[in-house]
Amino acid sequence: MGLNVTSRGVKTENEDNPLEAATLGSLIPHSVSIEPLIHFLWKEKGANMKENVASTVVFILLLFLNTNLLNGQSPPGKPEIFKCRSPEKETFTCWWKPGADGGLPTNYTLTYHKEGETFTHECPDYKTGGPNSCYFNKKHTSIWTIYIITVNATNQMGSSSSDPRYVDVTYIVEPDPPVNLTLELKQPEDRKPYLWIKWFPPTLVDVRSGWLTLQYEIRLKPEKAAEWETHFAGQQTQFKILSLYPGQKYLVQVHCKPDHGFWSEWSPESSIPIPNDFSMTDATVWIFVAVLSAVICLIMVWVVALKGYSMVTCILPPVPGPKIKGFDTHLLEKGKSEELLSALGCQDFPPTSDCEDLLVEFLEVDDSGDQQLLAAHSKEHPGQGVKPMHSDPDSDSGRGSCDSPSLLSEKCDEPRANPSKFHTPEGLEKAEKPETNVTQPQGPQSTSVEGKIPSLHASGSQSSTWPLLQPPGLHYSRSSYHSVADVCKLGLGTAGAASTLLDKTDTCALKPSQTIETGGEGKAAERGESESFRFKTDQDAARLLPQDKTPLTSAKPLEYVEIHKVSKDGALALLPKQNEHSGRAEKTSTPETSKEYSKVSRVMESNILVLVQNRRAQNLAPFEEPAKEAPPSLPQNPAAVDLASFPAAPSSCRLQLGGLDYLHPTGFMHPFQ
Amino acid sequence: MDNKGSSQKAGSLLLLLLLVSNLLLCKSVASLPICPSGAVNCQVSLRDLFDRAVILSHYIHNLSSEMFNEFDKRYAQGRGFITKAINSCHTSSLSTPEDKEQAQQVHHEVLLSMILGVLRSWNDPLYHLVTEVRGMQEAPESILSRAIEIEEQNKRLLEGMEKIVGQVHPGVKENEVYSVWSGLPSLQMADEDTRLFAFYNLLHCLRRDSHKIDSYLKLLKCRIIYDSNC
Repeated sequence: MGLNVTSRGVKTENEDNPLEAATLGSLIPHSVSIEPLIHFLWKEKGANMKENVASTVVFILLLFLNTNLLNGQSPPGKPEIFKCRSPEKETFTCWWKPGADGGLPTNYTLTYHKEGETFTHECPDYKTGGPNSCYFNKKHTSIWTIYIITVNATNQMGSSSSDPRYVDVTYIVEPDPPVNLTLELKQPEDRKPYLWIKWFPPTLVDVRSGWLTLQYEIRLKPEKAAEWETHFAGQQTQFKILSLYPGQKYLVQVHCKPDHGFWSEWSPESSIPIPNDFSMTDATVWIFVAVLSAVICLIMVWVVALKGYSMVTCILPPVPGPKIKGFDTHLLEKGKSEELLSALGCQDFPPTSDCEDLLVEFLEVDDSGDQQLLAAHSKEHPGQGVKPMHSDPDSDSGRGSCDSPSLLSEKCDEPRANPSKFHTPEGLEKAEKPETNVTQPQGPQSTSVEGKIPSLHASGSQSSTWPLLQPPGLHYSRSSYHSVADVCKLGLGTAGAASTLLDKTDTCALKPSQTIETGGEGKAAERGESESFRFKTDQDAARLLPQDKTPLTSAKPLEYVEIHKVSKDGALALLPKQNEHSGRAEKTSTPETSKEYSKVSRVMESNILVLVQNRRAQNLAPFEEPAKEAPPSLPQNPAAVDLASFPAAPSSCRLQLGGLDYLHPTGFMHPFQ
Repeated sequence: MDNKGSSQKAGSLLLLLLLVSNLLLCKSVASLPICPSGAVNCQVSLRDLFDRAVILSHYIHNLSSEMFNEFDKRYAQGRGFITKAINSCHTSSLSTPEDKEQAQQVHHEVLLSMILGVLRSWNDPLYHLVTEVRGMQEAPESILSRAIEIEEQNKRLLEGMEKIVGQVHPGVKENEVYSVWSGLPSLQMADEDTRLFAFYNLLHCLRRDSHKIDSYLKLLKCRIIYDSNC
């Protein structure tokens, strides 16, 4: 028997359970065939009628529930408010994202309350913003107020709420894009053509009252290009583009931003084709440039053609072949050496003693093998005053500028020209002093010469020490010697105050050149001090010779004074230097053909010859190494040597006397170290 | 007597007539006219003053905004300060317009005095803000420099506004109304959370008030200088 299960009931043969049948039917709305089950149940019917009923009911109920669960119905998931925006700072809209809806129709409500209020409102408008949105119109919008907004999702099974979102309309302003973007190609007569872009602010934004201030940005590109070209337009609502590629279609967009807000979306594209003849009127410029450059090229070619050769020689001068003046190659070929050499201007070869002019005479006084006295050669360049010690292996150094005869000679000239330069009078005096101890009436004497600085100080008014005068005990192991300044410094240092000198400068004034500077007294001393014992190169010496602008060349040719004759009583007569710097023993102002050095007053420490000049009671600086002495212009005017006396500049010249002197640094260093 | 009476009547009538005509001629917004002396210089310099004031207020708000964002990012993440910073600004006692319509209905002299009130209310807090930020542990340079700059510019803006008021309504006596700030103890609390929240709140209120002032000034500028046609 087939059971027809209908809602009306189950027709059964057995009419004992009409109720049961009806219940069954009502409970099972589906047309699920449960024949086998009922069949089974009916089978049992006879045995456990009542229990069967109960279990059946339970069973069916469970079935019902199961089917419901299989369908996925549940309370709604948590929604989320993901965006709130205001297009004009007068209204705003919030959008939410629903969570899982639980399979049942879910109802969403938005509730909010405002900062400072207690009661909760519901969203006034769910429609305007689209689905899942809430629109707050002007009435419901307050600026500078925080809204606390929540969305509730409800369905049959339950409900859930989103997290509250705190919204202040002030900071969520994002306008619509600008509208009415128009493009226009303008080609005025006398100006370059351009693209004129115009637009209007978005309709909702109130710019006129100043409630919002918008700034715009446009971008454009040729249709096929990949990148946009962006331009900022400020607050204006138009823009001109000048540089465009002709023959292409351009796309243009614009967007805007409020003064404190977000950029809007880009407006829809506007396009405009650029005609092909949209060219610059720069053609004329280019033509002009081309013609000008052609003309210039022509001129250049012409010039080169005409003066090519001379230009080439100018740029690439010919390398001169070896040539000796007066040298006649033919003579050489012929093998006549005498003629050849005479052509060269050379006298007998080998040279004889007649060539006095050309030859250098050395006066060598070798003590312990190191010292040399060098006679200055008149031809020497005055600026050189550095004389290397021959004996020194390391002939370098410190050719004392003080010593350089050239210096001295220069100084000689100087005073005439520039009396003021000779601040060194004292120095000069002093420099001489030690040497000229003998000659000076005051007789600073050899004791002072001995180089005790104090003693030197003691010696009269003259500035104290001429450290250069350190006794010859100095070893000359080192050729280098310090400039006078250095020595001065040494002397000053040890002497302590050496201050009778017009301060240190005086002592160091021995370097005539140094003191040449106006007011250079101090400077000289300072100079000397700064260079303590470091006579590196001749440049130093050059430096020490302020007025001597010519840098001292390192390869110092020695300056020699030609010894004219040696008189019978041992005086060396020296020929002055022929150039202006000559007159080492004299003032240059009165160049003499020769200066007579009457005698050697004494020999100090075996390496200093103190010569006494005939003309005046000046002592020549001994031709010893570092001794550089300023010949005292007047023994009577020691320290007080003032510039005024210098015009005669004897002292400077006197210095030159000592031009050949070398100050050996080592000797001076010892006492001070 | 009759003459006198009639002349008196005539006088009063005349007065009445004048009054009525004045009222009729008055604009609907019954505010005092600007530049009563009518000098051209007044108009021109007022424009410059407003331009400058707007630039300053815009700048101050930019700085406040950056400062707040920096602080929020650095110190306030995950602390839920926003939930507590409700209705906690000391200037809320000054009743100011809350939207455009309200602001447009306020007369410009009233609006100007409101602006001045808010600016004055911030003198003291800004000063203490600078001091306290300096004392913060690892005081961030970006926040400190902005705080100093804001304090400086606020003073300048106040001066400018006073000049504007002096020119727009010369001789009008003004009540110096402003709110007193009493948040200093919170800024100096030992408890870090409380102290940080006090800073957060102060910066949050500063950002808001600077925006308010900026908006009002821009409204006023367009209204007064450009006749609502910016």
